[in-house]
Amino acid sequence: MTGNSTLPGLISLHGIGKRYQLAGQELSILNDVCLCIARGDSCGILGASGSGKSTLLNILGLLDLPNCGQYHFAGHDIFSASPDELAAIRNQQIGFVFQSFNLLPRLSALDNVALPLSYRGVSRHASVEQALRMLEQVGLAERAHHRPADLSGGQRQRVAIARALVGNPSVILADEPTGNLDSGTAQDIMNLLLALNREQQVTLVIVTHDPQIAERLERKILVRNGVVQEVGRL
Amino acid sequence: MSLRVEQSLSQLLHEALVSLRTLGKRSMLALLGIVIGSSSVVALINIGHNASVDAALIFKDMGTDTLVVQFPPKGSANVPMRTHLDLDAVRQAVPGIAHIGALSLFSGPIVFHGRSVNANFVGSTPDVAAAMRLTLQHGRFLSGFDVNETYAVIGADVAQALSAPGDPLRLGDRVRINDYLFLVVGLLQPQPRAMLMPVQPGESLFLPAEGMRRIYAAPQINNLIIRAAVGQDMEHLARAAADALRAQLTEHDVDIQVPQQMIDGMTRQSRTFAYLLLALGAISLIGGGVGVMNVMLMNVSERRREIGIRMALGARQRDIRNLFLLEAVTLTAVGALCGAVLGMTAAWLYAWLSGWVFDLAAAALPLGVGSTLLVGLFFGIYPAVSASRLQPVEALRDE
Repeated sequence: MTGNSTLPGLISLHGIGKRYQLAGQELSILNDVCLCIARGDSCGILGASGSGKSTLLNILGLLDLPNCGQYHFAGHDIFSASPDELAAIRNQQIGFVFQSFNLLPRLSALDNVALPLSYRGVSRHASVEQALRMLEQVGLAERAHHRPADLSGGQRQRVAIARALVGNPSVILADEPTGNLDSGTAQDIMNLLLALNREQQVTLVIVTHDPQIAERLERKILVRNGVVQEVGRL
Repeated sequence: MSLRVEQSLSQLLHEALVSLRTLGKRSMLALLGIVIGSSSVVALINIGHNASVDAALIFKDMGTDTLVVQFPPKGSANVPMRTHLDLDAVRQAVPGIAHIGALSLFSGPIVFHGRSVNANFVGSTPDVAAAMRLTLQHGRFLSGFDVNETYAVIGADVAQALSAPGDPLRLGDRVRINDYLFLVVGLLQPQPRAMLMPVQPGESLFLPAEGMRRIYAAPQINNLIIRAAVGQDMEHLARAAADALRAQLTEHDVDIQVPQQMIDGMTRQSRTFAYLLLALGAISLIGGGVGVMNVMLMNVSERRREIGIRMALGARQRDIRNLFLLEAVTLTAVGALCGAVLGMTAAWLYAWLSGWVFDLAAAALPLGVGSTLLVGLFFGIYPAVSASRLQPVEALRDE
């Protein structure tokens, strides 16, 4: 299960389709999506609400399975992988950043960041140490023992980014990461994400409807009525 | 890339601790249910045990720890039984014997101040008092130094029959049997009728065994009374004692009656009792278990989003299942421990109030705590499995 060099890039989708059954009616969300993302890319996925961009992100993040097509993630064929293998890929290769942060309210910031490591057999002590380093990197070391409720929106998103990064993933998938933040804080968060992309070659995929954010990314992918279209590279 | 990773123990412990620290109000209620269920199992097992200990004490007083030995002659030969047996040898051979005494029986009239009453004359060895549980109202029982004396210990009924208004039979009085006067050195306490004894102490006059020849030309040992030490298997003890006695006898066999029916009745009664109490405890434990399942199901539906997040971060189905199972078991473990303490306290209080001896039942704690944990595991499985079956995207979508 090592990376297959014949496959282009980290993420490769071919003819991906996704349908839902809703009230007895078949609803087509994505049609024949073909997309390749190489290591180190930074992509914006743009589109109006309801266009299917979040569904695309869920499929990219292995949270949802497409109905048809071919999907290879870092050489793994997603259709032939077991749920446990998918979980392991999510754990080791993908870092998620959500619009509503999705921190666990019962855990401190430190424990939230350490959580992904616990699912790969790292001991408590080692995972806490690593989580603390990550919090330092996003500038929140002194807030390590605060609960998410005691942090501001920008701080919560920093914690979420630290959590996405702690497992040293090859890609960060962000769903409207600045959607709940004021413009100043949003700038800070985008700077942080782009710096990670630049300095650590972490592949960055950001779903957004904000053209200003999309402007700062190398690639812009437009989703419209379930069809994907590359709008152009910078 | 390795795909098989297990959560380390330290991480699991941490999860359990967090879930304990953040117990909600509803979890507290479920905890209460488990505490009550677990404590009632512990308390009821212990109360049942104490009750059967108490019942055993009552039966013991009735003589379940007493063996009566008879010596039927071998064959048809009518050889008289011997007048002396080496009881110390028997006692040494069978360590389970607490007391052993020999009786030679005869009966006839006793005369005191002209009044005459028929009574049993019991030629006794000194240990008969302990073997037959005789208690004295006044004076003392016959001792090893009295073998050549004309001393007697008199039963309560006989003493009363010999007394007249204004002229009671007292210590130091002499009663006449045939031509001998016997000095009364002890008066027995009135006692309920002994069910298994060959003679009723109240209707008897106890004399030194060696002196029986004074009133009866050919005295012989009719019975031995053996009292077992605490906690002896009576059947086993009877066989050992019979073997030891047979070695001393040539013309007679040894026949020991074991009060087995009484012992069986006693065990059956206490077993019925224990089952009844166990069933009561089990029912309340199941009630507590349903409470745990309730809370865990609510927990799962309230924490769908958390489940989705954990799955996005790489938790496998079994990690989610283990998380909720661990919470259910942690909850029940705390409940079981509190219940154990509460149950023991309740049992102790109950024993104290009913005037019983408090005796810790060995099975109460492991059975109470163990069954509670099992109930928690059993009722925790369904919510945990249903949590693990959630699809990550569905769990995350839930607002």
